[in-house]
Amino acid sequence: MRKQFFQMTIIILALYACGSGAAPRIGEPAPDFEGVDTHGEVHRLGDYRGKIVVLEWTNHDCPFVRKHYGAGNMQDQQREAAAQGVVWLSVISSAPGKQGHVSPGEADELSRKRDAQPHAVILDTAGKIGHSYTAKTTPHMFIIDAAGKLVYMGGIDSITSANPDDIPRATQYVRVALQEMAAGKPVSSAVTKPYGCSVKY
Amino acid sequence: MKKRLFLKVVVLLSCCFAPATLLARGTAVVSTEHATVTLLSEQVQAVPDQTLWLALRFELIPHWHIYWRNPGASGSAPVIRWTLPAGWQTGAVQWPVPGRIRVGPLTNYGYEDTVSLLVPVEVPPGPLPAGPQTIIAEAEWLVCRVDCIPETGRLTLELNNAGSGSITATETRELFTAARAQWPAVTTLAGDYHLEGDTLAISVAMPGTLSPAPADVWFAANEWGPVDASGVQRWEQTATAVTLTVPAGDVPPAGNAPIEGLLVVESEHKGTPVRSGYPVQLAAQPLATGNRNPGLLTALVFAFLGGLLLNIMPCVLPVLSIKILGFVREAGANQRRLTNHGLVYASGVLASFTVLATVLLILRAGGASLGWGFQLQSPLLVTLLAYLMLLVGLNLSGIFSVGSRLMNAGQSLTGYSGLLNTFATGVLAVIVASPCTAPFMGAALGFAITRTGWEALTVFLTLGAGFTLPVLLLSLFPAWLKFIPRPGPWLKTFQQVLAFPMFATAAWLLWVLSQQTDARAYAGALAGLVAVAFAAWLYGQWRPGSWRLGLLAAGLVATLALAIGPMVGSDAPAHSRTAAPDETPWSEELVQELSAAGRPVFVNFTAAWCITCKVNEQLALSTDNIRALFEARSVAYLVADWTRRDPAISQQLERYGRSGVPLYLLYSPAAGQPLVLPQLLTEGIVAAAINTL
Repeated sequence: MRKQFFQMTIIILALYACGSGAAPRIGEPAPDFEGVDTHGEVHRLGDYRGKIVVLEWTNHDCPFVRKHYGAGNMQDQQREAAAQGVVWLSVISSAPGKQGHVSPGEADELSRKRDAQPHAVILDTAGKIGHSYTAKTTPHMFIIDAAGKLVYMGGIDSITSANPDDIPRATQYVRVALQEMAAGKPVSSAVTKPYGCSVKY
Repeated sequence: MKKRLFLKVVVLLSCCFAPATLLARGTAVVSTEHATVTLLSEQVQAVPDQTLWLALRFELIPHWHIYWRNPGASGSAPVIRWTLPAGWQTGAVQWPVPGRIRVGPLTNYGYEDTVSLLVPVEVPPGPLPAGPQTIIAEAEWLVCRVDCIPETGRLTLELNNAGSGSITATETRELFTAARAQWPAVTTLAGDYHLEGDTLAISVAMPGTLSPAPADVWFAANEWGPVDASGVQRWEQTATAVTLTVPAGDVPPAGNAPIEGLLVVESEHKGTPVRSGYPVQLAAQPLATGNRNPGLLTALVFAFLGGLLLNIMPCVLPVLSIKILGFVREAGANQRRLTNHGLVYASGVLASFTVLATVLLILRAGGASLGWGFQLQSPLLVTLLAYLMLLVGLNLSGIFSVGSRLMNAGQSLTGYSGLLNTFATGVLAVIVASPCTAPFMGAALGFAITRTGWEALTVFLTLGAGFTLPVLLLSLFPAWLKFIPRPGPWLKTFQQVLAFPMFATAAWLLWVLSQQTDARAYAGALAGLVAVAFAAWLYGQWRPGSWRLGLLAAGLVATLALAIGPMVGSDAPAHSRTAAPDETPWSEELVQELSAAGRPVFVNFTAAWCITCKVNEQLALSTDNIRALFEARSVAYLVADWTRRDPAISQQLERYGRSGVPLYLLYSPAAGQPLVLPQLLTEGIVAAAINTL
């Protein structure tokens, strides 16, 4: 009897639980996710409560991603973030057969060759994490604060070109946001235009 | 199909020949893997003090595209950097009407095949320097199919001086004429928008009806931010306007900021798709006048979903669970009988909604200033609903049972009395649901009431249809209930647990009542509550007999006398809602006084029973940040409390096309009309609105 009672209770609670899950919003809890990295390890957003998390959507063949990796901009920011104790997760949402889709081995090889320093590279082949964050472009950046709230979404920087020469002149939004957070200040540009190639769902 | 093939062939051919012929007339060409780009001048010579038109013409390989000024979800618009003779000034790029290009779930705005970007150049007065004039265009463009390639080109064009005799080639002139035909219309259409949650409701005035009838109409903002390019848009055409609902983007417009963009109309002319565009300037629309509210269809969709949602409201679910468990017991016994019960339940629900809507419409027609939520504005009705919740709860607790016992398997669903019982369940479900609709769906239903009688009735019936659907479906397909354990001893415990949501609803109603009446009347209502409980217990104790109904009736009459007496006396508007110290009660005169004194005014139209209002007040209006901001801008904060009937507030709500709370108005001393904030507030929305002052 007790078992059946709990069964019914769970059914009802499940009913109440449905209906959540819309586009992410600044200042609200970021969508939780569960992603497997190139080493087969599972990462959940909840695991990093208490730490700042950066999500970077990427596709190594996209010219806009090449712009920032070719010039070392993305790697520099990954290193700075790591030094500040920020968890940087690169996410690849390219579907099999589409541009940017890689095996775990290829992803690790890319990180090694480009000297990339993310905390982990998550292979989101089904696009589940990408859809829950409505990631549109590569790169598309999100920052989640220690309390699990979304504090930044948008581009890596302010000049929406594929030309690496523009990087020094551009405002590096993610870097600025992390500096502001470290200083205990609110993020001044919380939503910016993401630019780049479309995510190859 | 054949036509498209032909078109492609023509484009391909023109790729081969056109540049060659144009080149002969003094043009510059760059060819890349994906594009042939030509720089052309409409005039062969520059004339002082005149406008010279230049074009950058892109001929793309099939299926590849470049982007509009706002590329949409991804991509990047072409960039041209000009190097011109001294004093020459370029104007804005004239973007042809773009198409929508879909990549997976994302939508971009851009051009396939061939596109010409025209740029006006102002040649200064005074003689031109001797020799040919050199024009250099350095272009960067992103060309994509699914994958994207950034390409660049440097194009140099030499123009002769005026008087050197050349005339523009016919091909060039035709090319410019053809390019101009792709431009949006010259006159900018005026329109307005208002933000409702995540959706922009846009209305654009059209000088006449669109002809031929459009196959599709969509809106693209000139810049990234206000509109989500990938979202689904809906449009409707009326005699004088086109209305659209468009999903808002990552940076929804805040305050009074206008939105500039392009209204694109797709139609078919003699079998060929035609795309035309109208530049549109959308003003923030604070006043929701009758005809520019969401269409009936939208209202119906929301009513249906709202009805579905009602099923899991804490006040309704317990009642329905018992009915559904009754189906479980009967499952497999007699399908036809079960179906009949489902249909009778549905008719009970629909009949009740019809009565409810009719009562409200008749009262309104009689001149009463009522909106949805009226049932919670009368302390008497609130008290009666609280008693009903208590009674249903006590019934679930097992204190007493009504008519056919739930445990009498098979009894309840047979015969005429069984059907009557089911009909009554439908009626009861609507009555217990009615206090729940006001807090959550008040605004939507309130809107429905401002429509004509038939439309309002349709909305209510659609709500009823949504409400009745789950139970009706389960009666048709009882097999779906297999996952529910068979009835047994657990059922009793389960039923008893279900009593508590009912008690909670009763407690909530009493809290609402406490905001509406004085202590004397409140005490009367509480005493009545005890009397109801006592009567229910007595009823449950006695063995069946005809006189026990009389006893119950007597008990209830005594109860009501107890409760209603003081209630009638307290019906005076002097209600005792405890306003926070910094809250000033609203009046239209006070707003005018404060505005005249040059102070901005924020008015919060709220009610104790309106959950949406309470959530907004908690999350967006009473936070430290917002309080500080109000203080810094010396914004007066007025509260219009609609917990009880107040004709002045009802009229004010109606002026803004609402028939229910919440409503938030921000009066700026500079502007005549107040800004209407959305019904769901965030700190950001409030802060942005105040920052526009």
